[in-house]
Amino acid sequence: MSSRITTVFLIIAVLFSFLVIISKLALFRLPGDNRGYEPEQPIAFSHRLHAGELEMSCQYCHSEATSSRHAGIPAASTCMNCHSVITASLGAVRAEEEAAAKEKRAVRPVVSQELSKLYQALGLDEQMKRAGTPRTVNWIKIHDVPDFVYFDHRAHVNAEVKCQSCHGPVETMERVRQIENLSMGWCINCHRDPQAQGIKGRNPSLDCATCHY
Amino acid sequence: MSTQIHKQYWKALEERNGAVPEDLHPHHPHEEKEIPVGRRDFLKLAGFTVGGTLLAGCQRAPVEKAIPFLIQPEEIHPGRSFYYASTCGACSAACGILIKNRDGRPIKLEGNPEHPLSRGGLCAVGQAAVLELYDSLRLKKPKISGKDVSWVEVDEAIKLRLDQLRRTGGRLRLLTGTLHGRTAAVVIEKFLGTFPNAQHIVYDPLSSSAISQAYEQTHGQRLVPRFHLDRALTIASFDADFLGTWISPLEFTGSWRAARRPDAEHPLVPYHAQFESRMSVTGSKADDRFPAAPAEIRYLLRELTSLLAAKANVPIPDRLKQQGVPASLSHVSLNKVADRLWETRGHSLIVAGLQDVESQLLCNFANHLLGSYGTTIDLEHPSRQKQGNDRALAGLVSELREGAVDALLIAGVNPAYELPLEPELLRGVPLLVSFSPYWDETSQLAHFVCPDHHFLESWGDTEPVHGIVSLMQPALEPLFETRSLLESLSAWAGELKSAYEIIQENWRLNLFPLSGAKTFESFWDQTLHDGYAKLQRPSVGAENFRTAALEAVRSEPLVPGHALALVLYPKVAITDGRHAHNPWLQELPDPISKVTWDNYACLSPQLARDLKVEEGETVLIRKGNRSLELPVNIQPGQHRGVVSVALGYGGMMTERFAHIGPKWLEALPSIGRNGRVGQNVSEWLGLTADGLSYELDEIKIEKTGRKHPIASTQTHHYLTVPKHLAPRGGERRPIIQETTLAALTEGAHEETAHHEKHPELWSEDHIYPEHHWGLVIDLDACTGCSACVIACQSENNIPVVGKDEVRRQREMHWLRIDRYYYEEGARVDVAYQPMMCQQCGHAPCETVCPVLATVHSSEGLNQQVYNRCVGTRYCANNCPYKVRRFNWFDYAHEDRLQNLSLNPDVAVRSRGIMEKCTFCVQRIQEAKIEDRRQNRPLLDGEIQPACQQSCPAQAIVFGDMKDPKSRISQLIKTRRHYRVLEETNVRPSVGYLSIVRNRGEHHEETEGKSHA
Repeated sequence: MSSRITTVFLIIAVLFSFLVIISKLALFRLPGDNRGYEPEQPIAFSHRLHAGELEMSCQYCHSEATSSRHAGIPAASTCMNCHSVITASLGAVRAEEEAAAKEKRAVRPVVSQELSKLYQALGLDEQMKRAGTPRTVNWIKIHDVPDFVYFDHRAHVNAEVKCQSCHGPVETMERVRQIENLSMGWCINCHRDPQAQGIKGRNPSLDCATCHY
Repeated sequence: MSTQIHKQYWKALEERNGAVPEDLHPHHPHEEKEIPVGRRDFLKLAGFTVGGTLLAGCQRAPVEKAIPFLIQPEEIHPGRSFYYASTCGACSAACGILIKNRDGRPIKLEGNPEHPLSRGGLCAVGQAAVLELYDSLRLKKPKISGKDVSWVEVDEAIKLRLDQLRRTGGRLRLLTGTLHGRTAAVVIEKFLGTFPNAQHIVYDPLSSSAISQAYEQTHGQRLVPRFHLDRALTIASFDADFLGTWISPLEFTGSWRAARRPDAEHPLVPYHAQFESRMSVTGSKADDRFPAAPAEIRYLLRELTSLLAAKANVPIPDRLKQQGVPASLSHVSLNKVADRLWETRGHSLIVAGLQDVESQLLCNFANHLLGSYGTTIDLEHPSRQKQGNDRALAGLVSELREGAVDALLIAGVNPAYELPLEPELLRGVPLLVSFSPYWDETSQLAHFVCPDHHFLESWGDTEPVHGIVSLMQPALEPLFETRSLLESLSAWAGELKSAYEIIQENWRLNLFPLSGAKTFESFWDQTLHDGYAKLQRPSVGAENFRTAALEAVRSEPLVPGHALALVLYPKVAITDGRHAHNPWLQELPDPISKVTWDNYACLSPQLARDLKVEEGETVLIRKGNRSLELPVNIQPGQHRGVVSVALGYGGMMTERFAHIGPKWLEALPSIGRNGRVGQNVSEWLGLTADGLSYELDEIKIEKTGRKHPIASTQTHHYLTVPKHLAPRGGERRPIIQETTLAALTEGAHEETAHHEKHPELWSEDHIYPEHHWGLVIDLDACTGCSACVIACQSENNIPVVGKDEVRRQREMHWLRIDRYYYEEGARVDVAYQPMMCQQCGHAPCETVCPVLATVHSSEGLNQQVYNRCVGTRYCANNCPYKVRRFNWFDYAHEDRLQNLSLNPDVAVRSRGIMEKCTFCVQRIQEAKIEDRRQNRPLLDGEIQPACQQSCPAQAIVFGDMKDPKSRISQLIKTRRHYRVLEETNVRPSVGYLSIVRNRGEHHEETEGKSHA
């Protein structure tokens, strides 16, 4: 008797689980596959402006990419190399200058809304004087392979793999978005035949322990 | 004639008596219990539940943050490791270390290969010290009467009390362990100088005070000499465990190894005789080991001295003349030892670990007769690693008894735990200040606790050997509100300075003039970079041997009898107990007994038979009104009249281990009935004017009938095939191979007999286009010290599983050291064999994995892919070497703070995953990528797995077997090379070099027996 109850229960359960599976299957993705992920960042940093319009090299900010496993998120001090001087867009500065000329007064410093977040993080006021306690900028990670994968930027950048091969056309993105699926099959495709992907250099390893250890 | 000797080694006594490995494993009563739900029903329901939750749980990964620095420090690069030279502070040996710093925090300690003392190795205790840095049990703030306060409050309160003392002239005593830093000495002198009646007393919990006392009498200087084992051709050791725990074991292991050259054209292996009562690590490596009771050891030393005096024609007092060896010592070939010592005089060495001034006097005399001074013993630049003065300690204790001490400051030692003192003695001191970083036995009694830094977050200097100075540098900001002892003392002496300033000032003033460097800055920077500096220090001025000192030696005849003696000894991992709250060290199997998580009474097999006790049953040890109940461990090679018990157990904070291990229904606690791990035996120590003594005569022992199962790994992971499964012919596989020096010398051109070739099941399916990694382990050099086991644990994020799980054979160590015994008459030979994944060419594990989670790499590695593994455990069952480990649970890293010591380059494995040694593939990858980046070829020796890096005996060599010039390829060609279970044709990539014993005349006899 009890076994019949178990069977009936299991049949209902299996039917129910099918319903769950079908609705979930559409969403199923491999670990690391976050295509389309485009979170809002604490500071609306524009890659389009910096990497695209201004043609800054990726490695100016992500300077560890050639020498470390991680490409590195630049420290606020790296931003300050330029932004201790450039505090707002050129247009806003010109507008203030014109306004000042019209009103016959000294030019007031113009600080854009997003850059003021950077200065706040460093604990600086608009005159670049210390004011308030510094706090970190908590960027949200977009390209995030699972913890059981050890991806090394060094190996790839030094083999002249373009940043865009994995990160997509970042220089066109106002806010960075994941383009490639970063799944293992996607990695392996390139490792099998890098020449076909337009990558020079030696043949990369296909051993599991290249990435998993 | 083959140069190899095939002896039948065994691991457990039961095995020797014919039991098959299956019988050796303890059966747990719960395994036979009936479960109310049927297995199939359970699986059905469980499968559904798991499937359902998995599906429902399929969601996007959680949001992860990437938080950069605000201002990029110059020396921190995320994802890259930097190494800083420093000095280990885990014990008084002060070995050179390299701190591996990652993202601003130390994650691993390694030996400094350029350090003149430790030569690149680092022992288990040193390796484990990094875990203690992140120990949440460390005190976070200073305390007054047990309450957390700020440093300002403590300083005010203590200064007030100290000023009072300065006015009243009360007695202040500073009690410390060995502090060999010159700066500490200066600061202490300055501090104590501000008091009218102050004294600095030093003691070592593992005392060598008798040695320095003896040298005071024989050479006019209180010192512990520096022993040069690398210059010795013959070593006789009387109870000195120099490879295990004596004075500076890492240095001694390195120099002991340097003298062994069995593969040279003219093979050379020093002869080493060991006289000891228990089986020590050193004894296990001796060519001749003579078990003797403590009194007999002293007697034998006297006999040996008189034999040598006769050879040297030096007159000695009649009472020291030879009395003859009694029948109970008939197995001791004293004449042979004396002959060999005399033959190589000038290159001989006698060491004695006995805490007995008379024996040490005789030992000095014998060394004098052998001309060891100036060659194997250095008195001009002696060791400073044991500064303890037990006579002063005894003086302090009598002062305490009189109630004459007004203030006692205690740093670096834990007298309430490790000395045989009544707690009232310390409680009665009006002002008790402890500098302990822990809330330990002494701190609990103290009025003020001023926690010191961990040595990885502190500036410090040391001078372990006269003329060799080294610096300790902080690898990170102090984690808690702690303060260096130097800063505390100078603050109370009226100078508020940082330890950095204090040390630099003293170095500029006192050490720089001796350095020969041009500027102080270059001297300082170079020392900081190298981790050490050699100074042109003048000799300490020891005089020549004074024969008159022998007047003090009495001559007591040996009393034959059946009295039992108790010997207290330090274990390699736990030593004096100062690191007993470190789970890595608790779970490290003892090199000899293979027991974890406990101390126990070691009995000889004969004594155990007489008492009718078996392993795991308890005995009661009694003397007077003291009694001690301990589980029994039957120890081959132990003298029948000796019970030995390890020091360092049963201390506070070991109760934390009650919570270690998975929380499941059938888990048993990891602690004993006393709420601690093991029993504290410090009340059995002797403390007299002669010093601390670790022996006790005439004890009583009886069986209790109670049980206390010990977690021993001795019978785990058998390589031996049980008889009923063995192939026809029943040949036992020679897992350990050994040879003798004589055989190596005679058969200089003979090849090792290899196993016959079997037909191939697989064709040559693996080609190795670039590299073929391999490992060669020299069993002759391996002392079983287990540094590699902890190095592996630290490097590869191996969890601690707790005592109960160890009992169930679930220890997770990827690298274990198998210990084998061979018994012949009274002699017990010991062999150690580090055993890790052999990375087989024809790996049995690879063929059985249903999900291809373990596959072969193009460089000869068996890759274990955690994310593919579904936990069938087929691979582990099919592994002939039993080196695969399964995560039965999520072995949580209990102390969240301690997770900061995890290696970010290695995945932390979850439940249900198989894991094993990877040859430290993360290091291989790192080296390959880094070399390619810098466009340079991969050099031989550039990649060192963690085990090789830490090995103080340099027994492990990793390399590319495809490169004919690599060191490993050369070693594979040597005559001693063999592979374990080669006959199974699994083609292991790990090779072993056979043990070499320098036994001379024993050789023929052994050879005959082994082939019988």
